Amino acid sequence: MSRFERKILFAIGLSVFLALGGSVFLAQGALREVYRVGVNERFGAELVHGVEARRGQLMALRSSTEQAADAVQWAVEAELARKRGPRQLVPLLEQLLERYPLVRGIRVTALDDAVIASVSRPSDPSAQPMRATTRERVASTGGQMLRISVEVAVPEVYFERLQEAGQVADVYSRLQRRSASVSDVYVWVFGCLVSLVIIVAFLIGAILSRRVTKRVAALAEASRKVGAGDLSVVLPTSATDEITELTQAFNDMVRDLRDSRTRIEYLQRISAWQEFARRLAHEIKNPLTPIQLAAQEMDETYEGGDEAYRSKLRNARAIIEEEVATLRRLVGEFSSFAKLPEADLSPADLGEVVHAIEISVPAILEDVGGGTPVPVEVQVSTATESIRVRMDPMMLKRGVDNLVRNAIQAAHEAKPDGGGRVFVRAYRRRSSGFIEVRDNGDGISEENWDRVFDPYYTTRAEGTGLGLAIVKKVVLEHGGEVRLDRAPEGGARFCIELPLLESR
Amino acid sequence: MRPWLAALVLLTSAVAYAQSHLPARDMRIVWDRGAPKVSFSAKDLADDRVRRELSGGLRKRLVVEVSTHFKGSNNRLAHRSFSCDVTRDLWEDGYLVRIGTKSMRFKTLEQVLDRCLAVEGLFVGEPKQYAEQGGRQIYFFVRAEFNPISKKQCRELIRPGSGTDPVGPITMSIVRRRICQAERDVEFRSAFLEVPQ
Repeated sequence: MSRFERKILFAIGLSVFLALGGSVFLAQGALREVYRVGVNERFGAELVHGVEARRGQLMALRSSTEQAADAVQWAVEAELARKRGPRQLVPLLEQLLERYPLVRGIRVTALDDAVIASVSRPSDPSAQPMRATTRERVASTGGQMLRISVEVAVPEVYFERLQEAGQVADVYSRLQRRSASVSDVYVWVFGCLVSLVIIVAFLIGAILSRRVTKRVAALAEASRKVGAGDLSVVLPTSATDEITELTQAFNDMVRDLRDSRTRIEYLQRISAWQEFARRLAHEIKNPLTPIQLAAQEMDETYEGGDEAYRSKLRNARAIIEEEVATLRRLVGEFSSFAKLPEADLSPADLGEVVHAIEISVPAILEDVGGGTPVPVEVQVSTATESIRVRMDPMMLKRGVDNLVRNAIQAAHEAKPDGGGRVFVRAYRRRSSGFIEVRDNGDGISEENWDRVFDPYYTTRAEGTGLGLAIVKKVVLEHGGEVRLDRAPEGGARFCIELPLLESR
Repeated sequence: MRPWLAALVLLTSAVAYAQSHLPARDMRIVWDRGAPKVSFSAKDLADDRVRRELSGGLRKRLVVEVSTHFKGSNNRLAHRSFSCDVTRDLWEDGYLVRIGTKSMRFKTLEQVLDRCLAVEGLFVGEPKQYAEQGGRQIYFFVRAEFNPISKKQCRELIRPGSGTDPVGPITMSIVRRRICQAERDVEFRSAFLEVPQ
């Protein structure tokens, strides 16, 4: 993991932690407060009061039943005191039953359990469940002891409600007693959830940021490689964002650097070859005249009568003069190459160069034919709109002239009896101007494409190998490129590309 | 392998330490047809507050759990528990006690405590559970609780909101565990004894 990635991850982690960790810190107070509002002493006290009230209600009912039993006892004792017979108690008991709704039945028995009088309410199967009990009293009158059993009942629901209220109050009081602990649970759960969110957010952030940091790290690594001199680095540019723009700019920069380095290296090589050509021309040129003069003098000053020897001298002189002429031509070309001036660039139209070539085509045809025009058709065309570039028209024409000359030679060699064709075309595309020269000759084999622009490389017996080198030097000095590939007609296609003036 | 061994040793030591720190109490153990019958009293669970609450008229629960463990291990060999639902009868004097499906009536709280916390001859496990453990050291662990709220009742009383978020039930589960635990409990163990051959 690079330092950059670590820093980005640290920043993500810190921001996520601060945001969410801060929320836990702030929320815990709020959560405790919410809990305190929901579970407070007032509510708890009211619930306890409710339970007490239900308990009090039951106790009051119990007291009522006790009082009812007492009342029944007193009434029976009073009735018996009036000397009424025990059998006459029934109307009284019925009245008492009517008066006390909690009483369900009254039974008066002797101590030996013999029933003296008994009344009860009719049973109602649809009535709510009741809890019944018997309150017993002993009445004594006139020496007679009677047992009075009063059956009382209250609805069972009163007891159930008390238990339910008790349960709720119980739980509530537990919630109250453990309020700190329970609110801690909420804070703890909230904290766990937030931690989970922090982890997920951090992982997502790390995954997303890694896509960026990886590309930045790749950019840094590529920069290191470029710094170490490796200009073959090309980074992928698949996304559409600022990093991609940066990567694209980096790729463009590396490509420009690569082109510049190639250009500089080539020009340095050409420059070295020019120096070599200059010295060679100088060293060869100087002895040529004395050699030629010596041969002439030997031939002209021979005064002997040996005809055979004279004939040998003449032949030798002819050979020496022919070879010296060839050497002079070579020296001339070397010298010309050595003295090739640097391009003096100024705005001009590429079409003008092509027009100039068009004018010189007959002379080239004648030159290639050694005085007789070769049967090669040359088609010259140019775009209707102007193709403004910075150029040295003379130098560029010289370069294109070389290309056209080579093309005519190639077409003629392939089709010496006619049918050879050469196309010269100037056009513009996007931010570049182009001059294309192509022929329908035999073309150049692909393995030689890289070497054809090297000085002194030639496949022709009489060639010097300087023509294409001059072309490339001229084009490079124009800030352009010259490329070779196969023409649709089967021959070679040379394409000169120069940056348009408005694109600079 | 070494970390596992170290963890095992640590766990065994922790269990042994916990067992040795449990208060030991006299318990009468009688082996009857291959199974132990234990007798003990956990009436000290009923302190003043517990007695007051048992006499308040609201239903309260007393739970007694007895389990058999091997010495130096946390593995439970056998388990037995029972609970008493005690209600002071406000309508008539006395206490209603329900043990399982059986209801009883006692006149005094002391009688209730004798029935629920003074355990007499309680079988812990079945003979087959002890059949192959002859000669091994065991002990009985007792836990008596006052008024734990049963899981079912606790779920009814403390319900999560009607929302569909998954966090509510989790939170409620933790809260329930804290709220519905016993209000008071006592724990003790018997002395170590050997399972008869």
